Parts: sequence; structure tokens; C-alpha cells
Amino acid sequence: MSYTLQYGQVTPYLGYLAGGAWLALQLAAIAFVIGWAIGLVCASVLEYGPRPLRWLVKAYVIFFLNTPLLVQIFFLYFALPDWGIVLGSYQAVLLGMAINAGAYLTEIQRAGFRSIRKAEVEAAETLGFSRLQIIRYVVLPHIAKVLFPPLSNQYIILTMTTSIAAIFGVEELTGRTYNINAQTFRSFEIFSIAALYYIALTLVASAALYAVGRYFFRIKGRVF
Amino acid sequence: MASLIEEAPRFFSYYNLIFLGQAFAFTALLSLVGCGLGFLIGFVLAVLRNDRIVGFAPLRWFATIYVEIFRRIPFLVKLMVVFFGFQLAGFDASMFAVAATTVALSASAFSAENIRAGLESVHKNQWDAAETMNMGGLTALRRVILPQSWAIIIPPSMTYSVGLVKSTSIASQIGVLELTYAAKILNQKGFSAAICFGTILILYFLLCYPMNLFASHLERRLAPSRHR
Repeated sequence: MSYTLQYGQVTPYLGYLAGGAWLALQLAAIAFVIGWAIGLVCASVLEYGPRPLRWLVKAYVIFFLNTPLLVQIFFLYFALPDWGIVLGSYQAVLLGMAINAGAYLTEIQRAGFRSIRKAEVEAAETLGFSRLQIIRYVVLPHIAKVLFPPLSNQYIILTMTTSIAAIFGVEELTGRTYNINAQTFRSFEIFSIAALYYIALTLVASAALYAVGRYFFRIKGRVF
Repeated sequence: MASLIEEAPRFFSYYNLIFLGQAFAFTALLSLVGCGLGFLIGFVLAVLRNDRIVGFAPLRWFATIYVEIFRRIPFLVKLMVVFFGFQLAGFDASMFAVAATTVALSASAFSAENIRAGLESVHKNQWDAAETMNMGGLTALRRVILPQSWAIIIPPSMTYSVGLVKSTSIASQIGVLELTYAAKILNQKGFSAAICFGTILILYFLLCYPMNLFASHLERRLAPSRHR
């Protein structure tokens, strides 16, 4: 039994897929921003918070780093309705991704906080900087430079993770691929094209982030 | 919460425990086979990418392109491509083979990066010195470079393996009977989603957390010496 590849049958759907890619980027961006905020709060708690709160955050980070995102979303989507919290598929995926990313971003941002040396702040104080000036001219530029590469790395990983949303019926890139597959049955063709879309998507995102890092933070290393 | 406690004795029955245990073993086996194969392929790729060993540039390009392609495709899409790719090639592969191949493809791309970074962490002079002693590229790699680079290679590879263990949950999509799929089956048998998915979350945690702890332990133990 031989199979003839027929890419011609799936070409009419390329635009539809591109729309899915745009949705995937959006999903990743929203999840990233929420996760970043969670991470910022949790990292601050880990560094400066009271002890019981610190334990709570630590438990959150350890648990979410060591369990699969897919199962976390399954839990949110199927188990929470038992307690009266009903989430739509898009909300469940977004929430799951944000909480999961939050755990990773906590770790990353804590390392960023740690990278500031006391001597730097003291030097700024000696020069007569005010508190705000220290944050504006010493702490933030330093943190930004240290954090930019791992953060952009995380964003790219998040872009790829959005494919999980398809399992819950969200029509992003992979979800739309499922749809086209159901209509045309050219399975290998359409999934390999989806793979190419993801490669292109992450390559473009990497290049853009590299340019931003190079221009704004003078980071020489490559991003992802 | 009360309903969960009520349900627990029925859920943790003898046969369900065996069922979950088998699924747990399957997840572990899938990860082990996939990561092991992937590490081997990644090693070959990293060697191919090294200009001290391979003089033929197109081989190096091939390795680079392979790595760039396979680490930029999400696991789910890769799984589907492998699944339908096997069909297309006419192999009657088992679902385990499909899932293990996908894990191996992911692992190979990332290990190749890790191993390349490890090899590059050894100073160039060491290659020159080995060459002066009349060692060929592969001998130098085995006798001089590798013993110094394991410490850089192993900890991130462990951490990445944990990520792959978590990714195997996606293999439930093609019906591989690992933990996530087992939970789905139990859920469809009428147990509440909270107890099914809650239990496997804990099982995944029991698998991944020791691995992560071991990785960070190794990282501290094998911290590279500063002189090079």
C-alpha cells in the first residue's frame, strides 16, 4: 500500500493556518505576561517575604515545575467544575499556561534578583543617588540585562507550548491543523506544514528577540 | 472535598492500583527509552557538528539544521508527524514505538545542544595539545575532551529529561497507555476528575521531583573547576 503525498490539497488552507499562528502568538503573549506578573510577585516573596508565605510559594514552584502542564490543564478543565468553577476551554488553557509559566518565571526572576551585588547599590548610594534613582539607573538595567535572555527563551518555549490548547479544542495553529486534517484527511501533509509554521514562528520570534536584546541591552549571546 | 474522601476507597482498589502502577512504569519506560536513544543520537550530532573532528562542512550543516528544526516543533505536532510519517512509510509501528521515537527526536535535538556546549567548554588549546601528541580527532575527544566535559553535559541533560517525562503526557493523545491516558480511562469509568487527575499529578511529581533533586545535586557536586 503506497501513499502519495499531495500537498496541493492543503495549500488553500495556508491562510487559515496563518490565522492560527497569530492566535498562538497571542495566547503565548497573554500567558507570558500573566506568568511574568505571578513570577515577579512570587520571586519578591521568596526574597523578602515572611517565612510561611515563602514556604507556600516554594511549594507552588516545586509542584508546578515537576508535573506536566497537560495534566494541570486537565485538572483545571475537568475537576474544577465539581467545585462550581466552570472554565471555558480557552480560559482553562490560558490559566494553566499562566500558572505553569509563573512557576518557571519565579525561578528565573529570583536568579535575576540574586545577581545584584550589594556593592553596586552601596556605590550608587555613595554617589548620592536617591532610592528611585538607584532602582532606575542601577538595579533595573542590571536585572534587565541578566533576565532578558532566559525570559525570551521562556517566551519561545511558551509559543510552542500553546499547541497543547488544541487538545481542549482551542482553534490556534495546531487546533486548526486538526480541523483541516478532519476535512481533507491529508494528515501527514498538513501536520508537516504545521511543523514548518512552528519553526518559522519561533525563528522569527528568536530573531526579533535577539535584535531587541542586542539593541536595548547590548546582549551578545544568542537567544534560544 | 468530602466526596473525594468518600470516593477514595473505591478508587484505590486493588485493580486500579495495578492499572496505575503499570501506567506509571510505562511512562518511566517511555521516558527512559526515548531519552536514552535521544542522548545517543544527540551525541553523534554534537560530534558531527564539531569542526575539530569532522572536516566535511555539509555534515556539520546537516547536524545544525537537524537540531534547529527538531527543537522548534512542539511535542504534539512532532508526535502527529511521526505517527502519520510511520503510516506513510508503511511501518506497522506500535504506539509505544511512535511515542518513543518522538521523545527520542526531541531529546536528540536538545542533547546535541547540551553536549556541544559541554565540548566547547574545554579550551581550544587542549585540542591543539592532543594534536601535537599525534592524536586523531576521535582519540582526542575520548581521551582528553570528554573526561573534562561530562560535568557540564550531565546536569542540564538531567533537567531536560525531566521536561521530557512531563512531555510524555502528550503521548496520551495517540492512545499510549501511560499515566495521563490511564487517568482519562478511569475518569470515563465514572471516577471524579479531581481524584483521577489529582492522583496522577502526584505520581508525576514522585517521578520528576527526585530526578530534579538529583540533577541539582550533580550540578553542585560536578561544579566545573575554574582553571581551564
